[in-house]
Amino acid sequence: MLLSRRLALGLTIAGALAFPAFAEGPTEIDLFFPVPVDGKLARDMGTMIKEFNETHPEVKATAVYTGSYDDTLIKTRAAIKAGKPPAAVIMSANFLLDMQIENELTNLDSLIAADGTTKAQFLGQFFPALHGNAVINRSVYGVPFHNSTPLLYINAEHAKEAGLDPDKPPQTWAEVTEWAKKLTKREGDKVTRWGIEIPCAYDYCGWMMETLTMSNGGRYYNEEFGGEVYYDTPSMLGALSWWNDLIAKHKVHPPGATPGPAVSTAFISGNASMMMLSTGSLTYVRDNAKFPYKVAFIPRNVRNAVPIGGASLIIPAGLEADKQKAAWTLIKWMTSPEKSGWWSRATGYFAPNMAAYKTPEMLDFLGKNPDAKTAVDQLEVAKPWFATYKTVPVRKTLEDEVMLVLNAKKQPKDALAAAQKAADELLKPYNAETALKLP
Amino acid sequence: MRSTFRRGEMSLAEPAPLAVTRSGPPRLNVLQRFIAGFKASLPAYLLLLPSLIFLAAFTYGAVGRVIVDALYQRATPRAPSRFVGLDNLVAVLADPAFTGAVINNLLYAVGTVVPSMALAFLFALALSRTNAVTSALRAALFLPVLIPMVAASALFLFIFLPNVGLLDHYIGRLLPVLPNWLGDPDIALVAIMVITIWKNAGYYMLFFLAGLQAVPEDAMEASYLDGAGPWQRLRYIILPELKPTFLFVTVIAGLNAVTQVDHVFVLTQGGPSNATNLVLFYIYEQAVEHYDVGKASAATLLSLGVLMGLTALSFRTLANREGGP
Repeated sequence: MLLSRRLALGLTIAGALAFPAFAEGPTEIDLFFPVPVDGKLARDMGTMIKEFNETHPEVKATAVYTGSYDDTLIKTRAAIKAGKPPAAVIMSANFLLDMQIENELTNLDSLIAADGTTKAQFLGQFFPALHGNAVINRSVYGVPFHNSTPLLYINAEHAKEAGLDPDKPPQTWAEVTEWAKKLTKREGDKVTRWGIEIPCAYDYCGWMMETLTMSNGGRYYNEEFGGEVYYDTPSMLGALSWWNDLIAKHKVHPPGATPGPAVSTAFISGNASMMMLSTGSLTYVRDNAKFPYKVAFIPRNVRNAVPIGGASLIIPAGLEADKQKAAWTLIKWMTSPEKSGWWSRATGYFAPNMAAYKTPEMLDFLGKNPDAKTAVDQLEVAKPWFATYKTVPVRKTLEDEVMLVLNAKKQPKDALAAAQKAADELLKPYNAETALKLP
Repeated sequence: MRSTFRRGEMSLAEPAPLAVTRSGPPRLNVLQRFIAGFKASLPAYLLLLPSLIFLAAFTYGAVGRVIVDALYQRATPRAPSRFVGLDNLVAVLADPAFTGAVINNLLYAVGTVVPSMALAFLFALALSRTNAVTSALRAALFLPVLIPMVAASALFLFIFLPNVGLLDHYIGRLLPVLPNWLGDPDIALVAIMVITIWKNAGYYMLFFLAGLQAVPEDAMEASYLDGAGPWQRLRYIILPELKPTFLFVTVIAGLNAVTQVDHVFVLTQGGPSNATNLVLFYIYEQAVEHYDVGKASAATLLSLGVLMGLTALSFRTLANREGGP
């Protein structure tokens, strides 16, 4: 009995080795996914993919954890270079343009057409603010999967103690400054509780600078063309100067560059009374805060405006047709209203698929957690996330200079001029091929 | 190190007959002589073949590829790569981020090699006699070596967390302003150095312990009889005997200072404002973030050249000291 079973196993293995073409099984595909915010996203992703494999016997998807957004881009590019691209990737929404310029993305138009839908119908499922980062040259290159906007988180207990009404959160920079002053606690020169914290680490820092610049009336980059950024401008100077003032002048924000997880830890532990952070951290805050908290729109100086954040599902270039098809099945399933809504409730990201907010589970959830609605409401004023040629290095030129300002090593004006110069240098080759290539 | 060994083996396998043939017919054809020499050493080459194949595939091949890549560059994103000669090298040397990384790396090398070796030597002196207590202490000091650098860095991420981290929890009470350990360009590199010293001192201690065992007993006994104090024994017997060990550990530590960037990757990503950007991390950034293989290869060649030069120099000194050729 045992022997025959072994024999059978041996024969099967031998057969599989000898005739790989006959060993017909499900199409095996990899999905690269990052975990950019706090929380148990990796476990949730495992649950989701398991359900997909159970309901789709013709495809066997494997979820591969690939680190931060920046790491995921690097690993995807390495896989493409090695000739073994993953079938689908959850890619930071603002990296799509750079990848398209480098010919690393599959144009999804033909897959959409093969389903018998038009591009307008397909895109119509998603919030309009998300289209900017998914469509390049009028072709669809990404499907929005989980998205975010920055929010102002407020410790309601601290606010009440300081005589502030958490139900009327600050709406302008002036009000935030006032709130932060009242919320900061000092023992002599030593600060024991900070009024506000804004994260600054590579990736987060650029996003927060775009947030502050946009609410100061600025644009950060040229939405229509990947060869221009607007660092050395009054709108960005005002944004960086205010951030600097919170540290140096008002002393209500800790000096130096503080990464996102340190900011959320400070908020959870009561060391900071307000923070600006992605809505992607909302579930983490909800699960861990032992005090009542409020979330509000990012306050304005000139206008209410925020960038979107989050990620889109993409299909890298250079895949076999069957894997491409399997990936498309997976992508459509993951961005359907039900799954989109489930992922949103699990993580705190908002669901990009508008129909998700009409599902009974979501209506029930929003009834219990009205704070999850703030990010969706803020979408009305949301704009695309900066995307340029060589997005990461161009972003880092700004981030490095911002970090110098936050550490009191440089004045905002000089820092932005230096960042602009460095960014222009990086964008030069692309401009030489596009805007400056003349007949 | 490997190449010196191999040269040794080869000279063993090139036996006396060669010299005899040379002295026989005085103006023998060069080619013939070469063939004769090759025939004589054929067994040696055959024995080396397996490792040569793997070295060629995974080491020399890769080095060759880097050299080729360093000579090519694309002018615009969609243009094909073209031969640019030494332009990439010039671009790297002109890049302030590279010179910054070199300066950081020099600071980092001095700031980690000297303290970690001093600590390792002190530990070895204190724990050179073997008993239950010193064995336990040796194990404790060696423990950081067993933790992978990435895991250790992840631990230090929590220790260095501003305001709420372990370090601020204890030291914070004593300081008027809490430092942002990894977010302040003045402190971040020092924080990175501390981790390296903590991690490597135990490892170098092993070499010094081994070196101390090799200090001749008779010389020590003679010094006792002559009434030498502990300081004199250290200065005139132990330190001279340990010179080769010091040299060896310096080379290892120096190489570590260039090749270990795991903690930079996990803790700071070279930031804030390039304050912790080391040469290897710069190369990584050029290759995968800027997508500039040409510049990354050129920077690799530069650092490879410097490292090989340093290693050759120190091993020659080492060989001289040991009475080698």
